[in-house]
Amino acid sequence: MYLRIKQLEKTFGGQRVLHPTNFAVTQGQVLSVLGRSGSGKTTLLKIIAGLEEPDRGEVFLDNSPITTWSPQKRGIVYLYQEPLLFPHLTVRENIGFGLSLRRVSTPDISRRVDEMIQHLELEGQAEKMPDQLSGGQRQRVAFGRALIINPKVLLLDEPFAALDSQTRGQMQQLFKKMAARHGITALFVTHDLKEALIMGDQLAVIRKGHWRLYEDRESFMRDPETGVQDELAFWEQWRS
Amino acid sequence: MVSRLLKNWGGPAFFLLISLVPLLLGVGYALLYSLGLVGVLSEGFTLSHWESLLRKSSFWQTMGFSFYVALVTIMLAGVLAASLVLRDPKRFRQPTPSFLMYMPLAIPAIVMAFFIFQLLSKGGWLSRLSYKLGLINDLLAFPDWINDNYGIGIIVSHLLMATPFFVLFFTNIYDNEQIASYRQLAYTMGASRRQARWRIELPMLLRPAAPTLFLYFLFVMGSYEVPLLLGSQSVQMVSVLTIQKMQRFNLENIPQAYVTSVVYTMLVVLLIALMAWLSPKKQTS
Repeated sequence: MYLRIKQLEKTFGGQRVLHPTNFAVTQGQVLSVLGRSGSGKTTLLKIIAGLEEPDRGEVFLDNSPITTWSPQKRGIVYLYQEPLLFPHLTVRENIGFGLSLRRVSTPDISRRVDEMIQHLELEGQAEKMPDQLSGGQRQRVAFGRALIINPKVLLLDEPFAALDSQTRGQMQQLFKKMAARHGITALFVTHDLKEALIMGDQLAVIRKGHWRLYEDRESFMRDPETGVQDELAFWEQWRS
Repeated sequence: MVSRLLKNWGGPAFFLLISLVPLLLGVGYALLYSLGLVGVLSEGFTLSHWESLLRKSSFWQTMGFSFYVALVTIMLAGVLAASLVLRDPKRFRQPTPSFLMYMPLAIPAIVMAFFIFQLLSKGGWLSRLSYKLGLINDLLAFPDWINDNYGIGIIVSHLLMATPFFVLFFTNIYDNEQIASYRQLAYTMGASRRQARWRIELPMLLRPAAPTLFLYFLFVMGSYEVPLLLGSQSVQMVSVLTIQKMQRFNLENIPQAYVTSVVYTMLVVLLIALMAWLSPKKQTS
């Protein structure tokens, strides 16, 4: 297994936000995590990214224990719900930011950024500032900025939650396409049932800090706690 | 029709009436006075007051000195405040450090100037302490930090008022702009602490702060009480020079005071226009 989480626990101010958690993600797979606000999903992602320290437990990446590594060394990019584009940088500079940190030559950065802009269907936007873009375009730039540095794992914390349903659908398709093209290993956290099913190769639920990983899509759909059965019953009543 | 006009334009018109009109009238009167068109010495249109003042090197020294004091103060206060906030952004949200930063803001400028005078003059506390510690042989050997030609006392005094203000201001920007999240994002993308600070935190902090830094710069440039008490006699700041010319017994100096104020106003307007021109223009797609 590429990313492995072993007995991870976290408590904030006497309140346990993450109960002992174990799971693993295969390389090149996307694990969808269904969870409501306050379920502990952001804490889990931040621990994996190295932005929070766990009270107990370990994180393994490609069989190496990385729990004590700094976020810079992990190669795990954490994408927030908001795109968080650097407001003082253009689209081109935002996408090339990670490469410029790695001292990649300017012509190489320029070439790779142009390719990424093309893949993201953002032609003509390269010299714009973030406040000149629409919500969907900003999220695309945020993806491009993360993907261009070939992260080992991508952590996505409800990245499409702020988008309208049409843009959200487009972004889901774009992400699927980009994930396949770049062979991305990712944890995709969402509170949207449909989105979890669309995006994930594997499925899990996190509720009040308790984690449950499903063997397959069928077992996820059968579990009354995921809400799939309620959803099906809702649509069934309209059909009948 | 009238009620709609009042509803749409009443507010801005009232604002213009109470803020801009008195200012324009004041500058207009100063301009007319400086051209010899009004006032006790009025003898008809003349450029002699302008010529005589603009030819004096002391006038340009005053302008340059005011600019220098304001620039050094803002640069030092900005660097100090940004360093303090970026070092530990959460610190100034806590009650005690936050209270300590608010306190100097409640002290009037003249009181701060007096305190600096007591602290840095040759007969002041630092001088006496240095003498007691044997660092200097005579109180007069203490360096000239008050009423000096480099404006050290003025700068220190303004610095003690500006730095806390900018610490609180930068702390608010840090929170409102979610700079901590951007910093964490930069870390996960591989940025070192130094890279995140210089390439993300600092530009994100200074960009929205630029207009306020600029306005504070203008405020320091035109300040009166602090340079009056702590400034040198040989080179004065613009407000001190203007008031002194205005209040001298020689009535010939009054039109020159007005020339100074008109030139200073023009300089400020020019700087504001330059600032507005340089600020990023927003466009939406």
